[in-house]
Amino acid sequence: MTTLALNKIKKSFGNLDIIRGVDLAIGSGEFVVFVGPSGCGKSTLLRMIAGLEPISGGELSIGGERMNERAASQRGIAMVFQSYALYPHMSVYKNMSFGLETAKMPKPEIDKRVRKAADILQITHLLERKPKQLSGGQRQRVAIGRAIVRDPKIFLFDEPLSNLDAELRVQTRVEIAKLHRDIGATMIYVTHDQVEAMTLADRIVVLRAGVIEQHGTPLEIYNRPANRFVAGFIGSPKMNFLDVVASDVRDGGVAIDIAGKRARLPIEGRVADSAKLSLGLRPEHIETDGAGGLEFGALTVVHVEHLGGQTIVYGRLVDGQSLTVALDGQRPISAGSTLEVRIAAENCHLFDEAGDRIGR
Amino acid sequence: MTDAALSTTTIAARTDAGEPSVSPWKRALLYALLLAVSFLMLYPLLWMVASSFKPDSEIFTSTGLVPTDLTVDAYRRGWNGLSIGFGWMFFNSLVISLLVVVGNLFSCSMAAYAFTRLHFKGRGFWFTLMLGTLMMPQHAVLIPQYVMFLKLGWVNSILPLVVPKFLAIDAFFIFLMVQFFRGIPRELDEAAIMDGCGPLRIFLKVILPLSTPVLATAAVFSFIWTWDDFFAPLIYLNDIEKYTAQLGLRTFVDSTGTSDWGSLFAMSTLTVLPIFILFILFQRLLIEGIATTGMKR
Amino acid sequence: MSTLGTTERPVAGGRFRFGDSLAGYGFLAPWLVGFFLLTLGPAIASFYLSLTDYSGLGAANWVGAENYVRIATDDPRFWTAMNVTFTFVLLSVPLKLVFALAVAVALNRGLSGLSFFRAIFYLPSLVGGSVAVAVLWRQVFAGDGLLNQALNTLFGFEGPSWISNPSTSLYTLVLLAVWQFGSSMIIFLAGLRQIPQDMYEAASIDGASKARQFFKITLPLLTPVIFFNAVILTIDAFKAFTSAFVISDGTGGPIDSTLFYTLYLYQEAFTNFRFGYASALAWVLVLIIAFFTAMSFLTARFWVHYDD
Repeated sequence: MTTLALNKIKKSFGNLDIIRGVDLAIGSGEFVVFVGPSGCGKSTLLRMIAGLEPISGGELSIGGERMNERAASQRGIAMVFQSYALYPHMSVYKNMSFGLETAKMPKPEIDKRVRKAADILQITHLLERKPKQLSGGQRQRVAIGRAIVRDPKIFLFDEPLSNLDAELRVQTRVEIAKLHRDIGATMIYVTHDQVEAMTLADRIVVLRAGVIEQHGTPLEIYNRPANRFVAGFIGSPKMNFLDVVASDVRDGGVAIDIAGKRARLPIEGRVADSAKLSLGLRPEHIETDGAGGLEFGALTVVHVEHLGGQTIVYGRLVDGQSLTVALDGQRPISAGSTLEVRIAAENCHLFDEAGDRIGR
Repeated sequence: MTDAALSTTTIAARTDAGEPSVSPWKRALLYALLLAVSFLMLYPLLWMVASSFKPDSEIFTSTGLVPTDLTVDAYRRGWNGLSIGFGWMFFNSLVISLLVVVGNLFSCSMAAYAFTRLHFKGRGFWFTLMLGTLMMPQHAVLIPQYVMFLKLGWVNSILPLVVPKFLAIDAFFIFLMVQFFRGIPRELDEAAIMDGCGPLRIFLKVILPLSTPVLATAAVFSFIWTWDDFFAPLIYLNDIEKYTAQLGLRTFVDSTGTSDWGSLFAMSTLTVLPIFILFILFQRLLIEGIATTGMKR
Repeated sequence: MSTLGTTERPVAGGRFRFGDSLAGYGFLAPWLVGFFLLTLGPAIASFYLSLTDYSGLGAANWVGAENYVRIATDDPRFWTAMNVTFTFVLLSVPLKLVFALAVAVALNRGLSGLSFFRAIFYLPSLVGGSVAVAVLWRQVFAGDGLLNQALNTLFGFEGPSWISNPSTSLYTLVLLAVWQFGSSMIIFLAGLRQIPQDMYEAASIDGASKARQFFKITLPLLTPVIFFNAVILTIDAFKAFTSAFVISDGTGGPIDSTLFYTLYLYQEAFTNFRFGYASALAWVLVLIIAFFTAMSFLTARFWVHYDD
């Protein structure tokens, strides 16, 4: 069931279009992550949903009701801010109860809700403290608690983990996922971190320059990126792109030449002969042993990063194009050596000159 | 927009950061020089206070600070030296100063909130005009203001001294508060909006409670400047029973001439005393207030 | 002075924020009323009055530019007041700046007890405008005052009455103004603190002497603050009133030697009730101050160093 619908949502500041017609339907209980580089409009979109930013065009509806003109607090939404935005002069308890008091909820009901939320988040012992006296992780919990007490239909998170250190970030990520399972509310989460997106989302929405480039489950996006931008944005290390030229287009396949070798890839749709294409290869899909698939010949190793669980090799193909390879485990490879590299045909992505995915 | 921005621009003493290149001798010399200058600067004030406790004969014969014969006679003479006791004038000053404090806090914080936090057409235009009034000398508006208050029948009452402050006439304080409000993270307002607050509730429950440092600074400056003000009471208050302490002191100078310096000094000391007490209590706020408004951001 | 621009997100097409305009003007209402009734209205009225012979009673008769003509051609006391005021401004402002800067630099040496000294030097600024201090000054510089007693005790020198001597009276007021250098000093201190310490370290490594560091680093980087202080102090100096009034019993004497412009203005308005003429005097003062402010801003780009 759709709980939130964006219909041709637009946002402009003066002549500048920040959001250029976004259509999206979000189902009840879904965890949706907006991801994209800075300036792509993801935060603006979230703030428009929240009611903090006026909507320049299009319609926002929640539960079937138009919300464009509705005040933020009347939308059944709660938001967790990047800086947490805890009221510095109020205790944790007061931070959580403030919104309910504003809504003139009876005191006993407020108390019940605050205590319940504090219990869920295990911050009961902190209720009388001021935000100043809390650690970053604890503040984060209070911020989430302030959202929970309002019992919203939809939670909005604006880069909530970016102020935490690496370890705490992973831990909190797990907790947010657990929270989502426990309370089952719809959550919309904005991040520029594709790992957060991949790990948390039921559905990822990739934005660029105010437009949705693609949306789908994390694996759909990983396996079938709709264009070069999405392909490059999702996945770490970043996908390799090799310039190739199409030839011998027939039988739903195309021949491409790389590093002096020719290979055939199956495609759907049409590609012109001698069209310039981009071949996308995820570093983790490239192999150094076995046979078959597309062979690239010798890779001259320029630099190696030994991560322990993984070995990242930066190298150059015979034709001079750069290629990054991520190999499992520890490999005795050093700069200056050469590797024979290949990839299975099903792991290749082809993009046309405009950057759009070519079928399959 | 960080939490750190909430605290006022701290200019706490950098005591430990002594430049290693200053030799101990130079350092001692510098201290001696600074102490000498401070002493010289404070000497007239100290001497005034000391003299107020001296027998009258001693004021013109002794440059020292220690009275040979400690007496509060001068205070007794001075306190009742005019037809109206100084106590009453102190009370007048206190009433006016407190009302001005209330007026300034009320009106300037509202204006500063509108300028920093609310979106409305013409905001930039009004803000520029407000800054313009900062530069404008009061003399340009003095006479028509006086005529207006005269026509309203307000002259010889405290209204001309107090009412304008409820209309945010002291743009300096608006400016001071604008500077401070800008440091309060905007996300707090947004969190409050999500919590269902309108502009008034955000102002009362979020902005004002977080602004106690700047409100205190504005309050103390308002009080001191009003207490010290001479010009406005001089033109607006005519009857001696409405006089402020400053006017009283001036009248006292006229009436005693130079015949009774002891009681003049005693009353002078008393009029400076409230300022001195506020200075001791709020020294840091005052100094930070000056530093913040004087600095870029 | 602060950057004036607002950095908030611009809001376009803010339809559901219609309440904001209402709230904005609601919160601004006291200031707006004050601006129109107490600033803009009176400013216009005062310009109008300056073209009349208004006395506070009866009608204001239009006299055209007559008041201004008289100021320029037929008012020796105006020129006396100008002379006194400009002497005061040109002496007190530079001296105050130099003292404030010198003490600030001395205090910024990382001395312990900085806040103590800072407080002491600031105190005169806080109380200096009061009647009490003016009374004190009257005594200190009187013939039998503190200064002469001290001179007599120390050097056996019989000093004159500095206050009642027209050739020295103004200088006692200059001294009173310079005595209040503390607030400028605090602003300088805050400015000095913004100069990154590593600049001095780099300069030391380059072998620059302390004096050279002061003239090549401190002073140039401090020019915005010097500029700010100079403008504020100049405006304040033109507006000086209380001390001259109290010390001269409101006369500007002896023989008009302390007839500050504001004092003359006060006398014309509230002693002689020449409201029209006083309004013209007020506008001349406004123009003078505006001219000085404008000049400071215009020349600023030649000597004020902004690093952004």
